[in-house]
Amino acid sequence: MYENDLISLQNACMYFGGVKAIDDLSFNVKRGSIMGIIGPNGAGKTTIFNVITGVYTPTSGNIRFLDRSLNKALPHEITGDGISRTFQNIRLFESETVLNNLKIASFAHTNYGLFATFLRTPRFRKEEARIDRECREILALLNLSDYAESIAGSLAYGVQRRIEIARALCCKPQVILLDEPAAGMNPAEIDDLNQLILRIREALNLTIIVIEHQMRLVMGICDEILVVNFGKKLAQGKPEEVKSNEQVLEAYLGKAKG
Amino acid sequence: MALKQSDSVQKSRAVPRLIAVGIIVMCLIALERSHVLSSSVILILDYIGIYSICVIGINLVNGYLGVFSLAHAGYMAVGAYASAIASKYYFTEEWMFPASILIGGLAALIFGIIVAIPSMKVKGDYLAIITLGFTLILQSIFQNMSFVGASQGMNDIPKFTNIYWIFGCLLLSIYVVTTLINSKFGRSINAIREDQTAAMLVSVNVKRIKITVFAISAFLIGISGALISHLLAYTSPAAYGFSNIVEGLIMVYLGGVGSITGAIFGSAAWQLIIQLFKDFGTWRWVIGGSMLCIIMVILPKGVFGYKEIGGVVRDLLQKVRDYRVKRKESDNV
Repeated sequence: MYENDLISLQNACMYFGGVKAIDDLSFNVKRGSIMGIIGPNGAGKTTIFNVITGVYTPTSGNIRFLDRSLNKALPHEITGDGISRTFQNIRLFESETVLNNLKIASFAHTNYGLFATFLRTPRFRKEEARIDRECREILALLNLSDYAESIAGSLAYGVQRRIEIARALCCKPQVILLDEPAAGMNPAEIDDLNQLILRIREALNLTIIVIEHQMRLVMGICDEILVVNFGKKLAQGKPEEVKSNEQVLEAYLGKAKG
Repeated sequence: MALKQSDSVQKSRAVPRLIAVGIIVMCLIALERSHVLSSSVILILDYIGIYSICVIGINLVNGYLGVFSLAHAGYMAVGAYASAIASKYYFTEEWMFPASILIGGLAALIFGIIVAIPSMKVKGDYLAIITLGFTLILQSIFQNMSFVGASQGMNDIPKFTNIYWIFGCLLLSIYVVTTLINSKFGRSINAIREDQTAAMLVSVNVKRIKITVFAISAFLIGISGALISHLLAYTSPAAYGFSNIVEGLIMVYLGGVGSITGAIFGSAAWQLIIQLFKDFGTWRWVIGGSMLCIIMVILPKGVFGYKEIGGVVRDLLQKVRDYRVKRKESDNV
């Protein structure tokens, strides 16, 4: 692990009974980079996110964030410490307003306790005002200010996807994990999303890991691509290298009869 | 502009709501003082107040947090017995009554924290069964402990409860719950109800929130237990079994889940049914039960499900305004 690496997996394994969802996987993510994870369906991509964010405890191996091990950490600790994520199928709090969705995600850095809550102390008011301001700033950054008071579940699919990214940003992450952010989008929308991802990386100094099937996104913005199949690493490298890798082509298109 | 928006968020609705409830309570006190109300009416008001506190407590877990728990009868028993012991043996003077109430609440709070532990792992029907077991265990314990009178229950508890204590405690519980709901804790409670895993993955400390909510809920229910044992001057284990569980649930789901207005409405409606149809004997359960069935079909979340009276009035005014505008337009045409 180099000094520049923010997240690193060392021989990580995640078995569900006999199913090896992740099998001896190692990779490092450099600070400030965008890493793409691609692979056929069921290759274990989302499981990688789940072990990083603490939803699953890895069967063996090591997951490190900066100089800490994440193996035993709980999801809310990991998220509060700086790794937040979005979901493959949108999981917003649908009956809440968009602003409240974002405020919920500010939990870890809203600094007041029960005592302050019941007595409405100046600290409580100050913190609530700060959270409100910060959440509105993030909405503005993602051009979502108009939806602040709308009920999240009532909004269009594409907007909900962006709100999920906004919500993940409210945890004040250093690393953000995007799980198929471009699913169901057309090429024009994907181009917009690419610009958005680059913009938030620039504005908030983020490291990004993105799972995606849409090559337009992966090839467009990723600095490095990791290809997984059956939970194992198939290839890793720059987009051009991966594109011409024979094993990758084989996994996606099948083996040519020789 | 941005500043103005954040100011409007700061303005909590808790204060006007509290003033409104305060006025109602003042009126009740005036009525009580002027002896216009007969003692039986005051007794009904006592019951409404006590059960409102209890139902607000139940609502925190069953409504706001969305966890189906049946532990409330157990908390109520703990509150009733703990406070009864306290005021019978230690705090025997009337001015010490708050200490007894507090002991009742705190004893129940401890059990609330105990019940919160299985709620981390177990969900839905399974948790309902566990909490049911909890209530029945407590009932049996009280039935078998001779120093609290075993199945005879405790008698000669000082009659400290009066309408002022009841409505004072009710105001306090309304304040506690409104401030809790309008804070980061309240937002997290809603998040856990909607999607616990997603809440965890946006940094919400689910364990801490759940323990807090169970504890406060049990505390409020314990207080209502303390008030009722000092109102009736006796307490017996038979009062905290199935019928108590069912009555609690009826009041919650009749009034509406996730709403303080609903809790008060539900307990008022149910207590009135119980008291007004006294002549019908056990037939009133048929009336109450069928009412519950009808309301569940028409309004599955109860009369005030996730709504408060302020919001309902505002919506109604808006509808009237819309209707007037429409009428005007059609007149113009």
